[in-house]
Amino acid sequence: MSDHGHDVSKDSPSGVSPQDGGARRQFLIRLGIGAGGVAIGAQSVASLRSLVPNVSYDAPTTVKLGNPVDFPDGLKFLPDERLFVFRTGKTFHAISAVCTHLGCTVRAEALSQVQETQVGGQAMRLTHRFNCPCHGSRYNGDGTTISGPAPKALAWYHLSVATDDGQLVVDLAHEVEHDFRLTIA
Amino acid sequence: MKLPFIHRAPDEASAPGVHPTPFWSLRPRTDRESGDAVVSNFMLHWFPAKVYKPSLDWNYSFWLGTMSAALFLLLIVSGLPLLFLYVPSVERAYQSVKDIEYVVTFGWWIRAVHRIGAHLMVVAVVLHLVRVFLTGAYKNGVGAGQQREWNWVIGVVMLLLTLFLSFTGYLLPWDQLAYWAVTVGTNIASSVPFVGPEVRELMIGGRTIEQATLIRFYVLHCIMLPGALGVLFAYHMWRVRKDGGLARADRAAVLPAARTTAPVASKTYTLLGVARGTAPTVRTSSLDAPDLTVNAVPDLARRAMIVVLATFAIVSLMASGIPSPLEEPANALVTPNPAKAPWYFLWLQEIVTDTTIRIGSFTINGAFIGGVVLPGLLLTVMTAWPWLDRSPASAAGRWFPSDRRRQNQVFLLIVIVVLVFTVIGMFLRGPYWNLYWPWESWPDIPGRI
Repeated sequence: MSDHGHDVSKDSPSGVSPQDGGARRQFLIRLGIGAGGVAIGAQSVASLRSLVPNVSYDAPTTVKLGNPVDFPDGLKFLPDERLFVFRTGKTFHAISAVCTHLGCTVRAEALSQVQETQVGGQAMRLTHRFNCPCHGSRYNGDGTTISGPAPKALAWYHLSVATDDGQLVVDLAHEVEHDFRLTIA
Repeated sequence: MKLPFIHRAPDEASAPGVHPTPFWSLRPRTDRESGDAVVSNFMLHWFPAKVYKPSLDWNYSFWLGTMSAALFLLLIVSGLPLLFLYVPSVERAYQSVKDIEYVVTFGWWIRAVHRIGAHLMVVAVVLHLVRVFLTGAYKNGVGAGQQREWNWVIGVVMLLLTLFLSFTGYLLPWDQLAYWAVTVGTNIASSVPFVGPEVRELMIGGRTIEQATLIRFYVLHCIMLPGALGVLFAYHMWRVRKDGGLARADRAAVLPAARTTAPVASKTYTLLGVARGTAPTVRTSSLDAPDLTVNAVPDLARRAMIVVLATFAIVSLMASGIPSPLEEPANALVTPNPAKAPWYFLWLQEIVTDTTIRIGSFTINGAFIGGVVLPGLLLTVMTAWPWLDRSPASAAGRWFPSDRRRQNQVFLLIVIVVLVFTVIGMFLRGPYWNLYWPWESWPDIPGRI
């Protein structure tokens, strides 16, 4: 902005022309404010970024649930996995107990009368229904919603048999359709 | 009774700028001493020298702001011993709160003071907001350069901070209430489209509610939120000063001036803390009528101290009689039935229950509608209200003025709806969030299937 070739010593006894000194002062003020801003900005970014987790030590999503023969006919609730495992003879399926509304754990309520119905194109006997204690969502025994705020059905998870020891294995990262059944020979 | 420490020594010569006594006078004998009590006191310097007398009326402001501030102070003071006793670890938090309750001498009482104080602070802050709305005290009167609407915005933010402080506070014991409140609260955040899950992950410090979650809420509760509230409180009070005191003081302007306005020493204006720029004549008229103003010390100081003392006394007594509950330790495996939020969030729990929208096969989770959209809308309209309110300046600082009848009615209707939802949540919701009359007994439901 200022004239750099100008001989400043002639203009003021201090050797700095008012014009030139003003520009320099302006520059230094801006430098100071800028440096302060950068320092605060960088420290804020560093502080806030440090709070964004890089690692999540989640529980494994593939869990061995035990020997299939140990599961009772009907329903078994597994609190650690928040999972209902159903068994009808040699056929198994698993439904999540996590309410789709706000994540509370639903509770199973035994039906006074067994419901015969079609689930995923296959006949199924529903012995229970599910209720959520937090906001009153209700689900059928196959996880579909009856009433309440729950926006969608309870998740069904993939079941398999472990190749090493024959335990029942659930994959909590693998949702399946309602026609999923695991039949053990 | 003469209190030697707070009473000013007889006039004696002292060098300019040197205060002759170790303390200051709270019982001034002259106006000069009265002004000195304000300007030489660090705690009182944000008082004006003189205040408009009707501003001090018990039945105008009900001193709800002072009460809120007193409760905030009490919460800081009662929080200090708890800081020494509480351990923010998922393994030890519950046990340490249990120790505070049952082992530490007076621990139960300190915890009760902290808890009751927190509940009452929510009440006081909300009532303060209701009072300010109903009296149109967010409106600018006749003083030039007033910016009361911004103080309303600050106030709304302070209400949110108060609620968030309560939320972060009641989950520290890491009991069932805590665990499921965090679950539901952070899942509400998670229901926001696109960014929700990331926001939740940031809030709880991972994907599961664990140690990282507890320490986050702990630091927020003990440092970040009280710090932010303290800073905003200071600015809130400064704004009250700089906007010319309570909105009611503007009414002095409509009173006839006792005499024609003569130039008055500008210092008077500064001490009164009216407005920037030229001093509004309104101040002159009120100052000219000495029976309309009183010295802040002792009149304002005395009443403020009465309010603070009464607040402390009420909380202390209530804390002695009302035990603080502690639920079972946090158990990720079992959701309590019913799982109820604390009373001031029950209306939200009620609306997230009722607002899931289904259009054909398309569903919007009530968590988002009731937990984010509706409260967000309410908050936005509330924050912007001073700019939407078109009533005349003369409606400021009055209870139920006719110019503001309609908006006061709508506001009260909203307050009543929130209260009704709260009452439903408190008294009518039972297991599985079903409706029961208070006199109906809840069915026996096994704890587990």
